[in-house]
Amino acid sequence: MPAGRPGPAAQSARRPPPLLPLLLLCVLGAPRAGSGAHTAVISPQDPTLLIGSSLQATCSVHGDPPGATAEGLYWTLNGRRLAPELSRVLNASTLALALANLNGSRQQSGDNLVCHARDGSILAGSCLYVGLPPEKPFNISCWSKNMKDLTCRWTPGAHGETFLHTNYSLKYKLRWYGQDNTCEEYHTVGPHSCHIPKDLALFTPYEIWVEATNRLGSARSDVLTLDILDVVTTDPPPDVHVSRVGGLEDQLSVRWVSPPALKDFLFQAKYQIRYRVEDSVDWKVVDDVSNQTSCRLAGLKPGTVYFVQVRCNPFGIYGSKKAGIWSEWSHPTAASTPRSERPGPGGGACEPRGGEPSSGPVRRELKQFLGWLKKHAYCSNLSFRLYDQWRAWMQKTHKTRNQDEGILPSGRRGTTRG
Amino acid sequence: MSRREGSLEDPQADSSISPLPHLEAKIRQTHSLARLLTKYAEQLLQEYVQHQGDPFGLPGFSPPRLPVAGLSAPAPGHAGLPAPERLRLDAAALSALQPLLDVVRRHQAELNPRAPRLLRRLEDAARQARALGAAVEAVLAALGAETRGPPAEPAAAAAAAAVAAATAATDAGVFPAKVLGLRVCGLYREWVSRTEGDLGQLVPGGPA
Repeated sequence: MPAGRPGPAAQSARRPPPLLPLLLLCVLGAPRAGSGAHTAVISPQDPTLLIGSSLQATCSVHGDPPGATAEGLYWTLNGRRLAPELSRVLNASTLALALANLNGSRQQSGDNLVCHARDGSILAGSCLYVGLPPEKPFNISCWSKNMKDLTCRWTPGAHGETFLHTNYSLKYKLRWYGQDNTCEEYHTVGPHSCHIPKDLALFTPYEIWVEATNRLGSARSDVLTLDILDVVTTDPPPDVHVSRVGGLEDQLSVRWVSPPALKDFLFQAKYQIRYRVEDSVDWKVVDDVSNQTSCRLAGLKPGTVYFVQVRCNPFGIYGSKKAGIWSEWSHPTAASTPRSERPGPGGGACEPRGGEPSSGPVRRELKQFLGWLKKHAYCSNLSFRLYDQWRAWMQKTHKTRNQDEGILPSGRRGTTRG
Repeated sequence: MSRREGSLEDPQADSSISPLPHLEAKIRQTHSLARLLTKYAEQLLQEYVQHQGDPFGLPGFSPPRLPVAGLSAPAPGHAGLPAPERLRLDAAALSALQPLLDVVRRHQAELNPRAPRLLRRLEDAARQARALGAAVEAVLAALGAETRGPPAEPAAAAAAAAVAAATAATDAGVFPAKVLGLRVCGLYREWVSRTEGDLGQLVPGGPA
């Protein structure tokens, strides 16, 4: 009996002959005795084929009275009538079909190949599965939330388009002992992800890989080896507060709390802050805030609303040497800088204690500050406190100047320290 | 029983029937449920054909309307039957639909695993068919009519046989299984809609 010529990895879905139920059930393709109706059987039934391969199929008619003829039969594929030249009558009761260079299946439930009688009625059907075997999944990345679980994500090979339903299975095992385990909670952070909620060991490496399987074959990713402690992330820092620094019109103070889930664990958190002007989509990022829970943003525009977010990286947890995984950003917190008569210097950066001068406007100001320091300071030690004093002095002298010139009302003397 | 006996306003109604307001409320509630499920059944059918691919969704597509074991479409003479008899047939059909919808869902879970909405609708339909069938039986009981069905064991055996037959159909090939699923979803829509109509005739102020 003619059959499709699949590629080397193809598996043709061979179905057993249809059962003839004892009950009053008529299955499409099974004859009904004494009814005068014709039915047919298509072969092969539900084949699986590689894209670009060929298919030869037959539709054999039988019925009551006997002598059903293939005359007038025709084929449709996914509802479209196939050209007559693709068919030929093999014998009195059998119509053959030859399809070449098959395209990938239009739907995952299979392409519907149907044999019709002359009057258009459906005699039989078969579903074609045309696609590709899976390619090797790659780019596996995993992270553990507060060391309690593990979530992994991967990229399917060939960007996932096999035209066939492809099953992805994340497997894991302890590197030196233990059996293979299979992740069970899929699609937790996207279509190619899985979540392992419990029973994970620390201080020992895991091997993790992904197996992809469809009707045409299977593929396995490279193995990723990791220790849970090296891929820890945490919740965003809670209780982020942003406030003004007294009357300083170009600064805001940001304070937050270390993520409580990790409070019992030994680690050196580092933080990142990002902020943007209310009407902008461009975030400015302040890196390497190191292990502190407050920071001051400087060089901001006066009279402007800023949104601020903070995230945490619990690197060095339990002595891990790896970089750790950044948490999600905290919910945005907003605050506004005080208004000023003179335009602000634009964007700035958060200065850590004793930190290096940063680029842009802050550097320019610090240069001025150093010049002032030479004249007024009795010690050459640089400190943020002295910088603040200078800034307050700058503001005071500017306001005094403006008062003298009638710009500001009198009585607004000095600044409040943040 | 005559057709008039199905009406709540029949003065010759048996005095042993549950108090009228309670019955009326029960009928209204069940009618509302049937109306809602008719809409859901239509959505299920549309979702189903979409995932089977053409020609299933095309106008004019008509595979043979073959009988499904233990269940057929409402007969042409259904509307002419007395109300209790109609409701008994409705309840029996809804009861038979639940295992068949389960079979269709199981098969679609293999054929269309990435169609969660379809699978959820099929799962919901099985539960809703059972719930509506139970609600109709409660109305029948409140009407004082027997919920005359086959004894429990033969009914369970009939359900198992229907499931076995449906499973055999799916073993015969994917296309027959798609057709069977279409038939079951179509029967579900027909019977839920029929139930809505039958209950609507009992709602006071509804069509006679």
